Amino acid sequence: MHEKIVTITAKHGIHTRPAALLVKKAKSFDCDIVVECDGKQASAKSLFKLQTLGLYQGVTVKVIAQGAQAEQAVEEVSELLITLS
Amino acid sequence: MSVTGIVVSSGIAFGQALHLNLHHQKIDYRLIPQTKVAAEISTLNKAFKQQTQYLHQCLQLLETGSEHFELIEADLMILEDDDLIEEIAQAIRQLQISAAVAIERIFSHQSSELAQLDDPYLANRAQDILCLASRLIARLNGAQHLDLSQLKVDTVIFAHDLTPAEFAMLPLEHISGLVLETGGITSHTAILARSAGIPAVLSCKYDAKQIANGTPVVLNALQGEVIIAPTQEVNSQLEELKQQDEQRKKQLLTLRDLPVQTKDGHKVALLANVGSLNEISHLADVGAEGIGLFRTEFMLMNTQTLPDEKTQYQFYSDSLHLMSGKVFTIRTLDVGADKELPCLPSIIEDNPALGLRGVRYSLANPELFMTQVKAILRAANHGPVRLMFPMINQVEELEQLFSYIEQCKAKLIEEEKGFGELSYGIVVETPAAVLNLASMLPYLDFISIGTNDLSQYTMAADRSNPSLTMQYPSLSPAVLQLVKNTIELAKSHKITVSLCGELASSPKVAPLLVGMGIDELSVNLSSILEVKSALRDISYQKCLALSKHALTLTRINELDDYLNGQYS
Repeated sequence: MHEKIVTITAKHGIHTRPAALLVKKAKSFDCDIVVECDGKQASAKSLFKLQTLGLYQGVTVKVIAQGAQAEQAVEEVSELLITLS
Repeated sequence: MSVTGIVVSSGIAFGQALHLNLHHQKIDYRLIPQTKVAAEISTLNKAFKQQTQYLHQCLQLLETGSEHFELIEADLMILEDDDLIEEIAQAIRQLQISAAVAIERIFSHQSSELAQLDDPYLANRAQDILCLASRLIARLNGAQHLDLSQLKVDTVIFAHDLTPAEFAMLPLEHISGLVLETGGITSHTAILARSAGIPAVLSCKYDAKQIANGTPVVLNALQGEVIIAPTQEVNSQLEELKQQDEQRKKQLLTLRDLPVQTKDGHKVALLANVGSLNEISHLADVGAEGIGLFRTEFMLMNTQTLPDEKTQYQFYSDSLHLMSGKVFTIRTLDVGADKELPCLPSIIEDNPALGLRGVRYSLANPELFMTQVKAILRAANHGPVRLMFPMINQVEELEQLFSYIEQCKAKLIEEEKGFGELSYGIVVETPAAVLNLASMLPYLDFISIGTNDLSQYTMAADRSNPSLTMQYPSLSPAVLQLVKNTIELAKSHKITVSLCGELASSPKVAPLLVGMGIDELSVNLSSILEVKSALRDISYQKCLALSKHALTLTRINELDDYLNGQYS
């Protein structure tokens, strides 16, 4: 299992459109990817679920992946989380 | 039998009733047998697929980047979420509930989670999620069998609500009229109906059971009446009315490109009162020469968050591009009294009409005012803008506003953002503003008389109180006197005088105002051609005589009779 902690920088948080980009990225991996925020977890592959996490600017989240290419998945998803605006 | 509602798009329409059952769905909460689970899941997939296809079709008809476009895209992302479909399927399998129950359960859970988040944008999405669920459940119940592309006859649509996307999908050539249970004059669907020229009545409470599909109906969207199964007599009466209405509209349209002037060549500027980009894009349809009143609060009505400076700047500069140099008058945020906005905290006052409204609200919340002014100053880089302040009484208020405007300019210079100069005006809408006008005129480039509020405050009669119609007439000698004083004073300072209240929209009163010396009349888009026609049919000499005599009349009914008598 691999994980990484990052802070959201996007001014308006991870709303629908940036969240959709995140989902797209997550889906390019076969492994399970979870985003954890404030004790709540959601699959990074579900926009429906991600929206309820409250991913605002300044919030710290943990990206967790398990399975094939988990390490690379964590890296790429975290990278996207901090570059999305 | 007939029912009534609010006219949002005028005209008369004949057709067969057709209910679009997009909304209210009865859900069967009984459990389903194990043997039906697989079939239920395939129905679920089908419903998702149909709704997805439908929304993709809608997208093709809409402008990229428009508000509706983005909302539809957001719905699509949810529909294309495989995890979500799997979760619903799982619920059907494990709990043996129907697809409709599963959708309702999972979507309402999601919606309430979103609503709890401390984020206004997502809280707004919570409503959209419920709407999407209701449309999906309608699909499960077979709502897709209403294939409107096959419509062959004139049809009057009845529905609980209709989203702009759904409106965009209607085969408009066969839709003669529209009746909705919800909505009002400023709703998006109302604006779309008007621009498509489809008569529409909204906020109409009808009993769907009494109006079967195929029932002949007449929509009298001149009076706001929907007549179900009309008699032969009613039919022929309305047919005649329809022809008159259409002929009149056609006749008026021939005036579109002609100048606004009296028979003897006295010119007046005829401007429009608008509240949205969509309305601005229709100025040319009626030959409006510019905008005399842009109500900025309308852009805030459908949003849960206050737009930031960048968003507002974009909005005003888009508007200015559409205006291509024509007169563009922005009224700063006019909230309070009857205008409550979801994005601002509501204020509870004993007398809202006498409360924190217009610039009083701006002065109490300067950061709100300054965000708007900064955005407008920046937009003014792209074209001329006139800015006016509502509900001003005193010169000190004006001075305070100007000091905020100076601060805005200083900030823009500091932020290295370009901006343009504005012309400034006030809305004269209280007796105090009329009496104090001389002290304020030196600061101003123009003034605009707001007769609706000026009447309400002069007569001390609540304009929304139906039992005070006698005390709040459309025209009273006292208000006429105040308008006269205002015009004379402004003229002596060589300042342009505009009038943006309902009075200007009356083809009978407009010539009187011109006779009193008004330079500009600003009216709703739908009244422009009527007013133009009235002014082109009269001489300036006659306008002068009208105003001279009208100002001698002391009784409300005398004034009324006089103006009516002049044109009969």
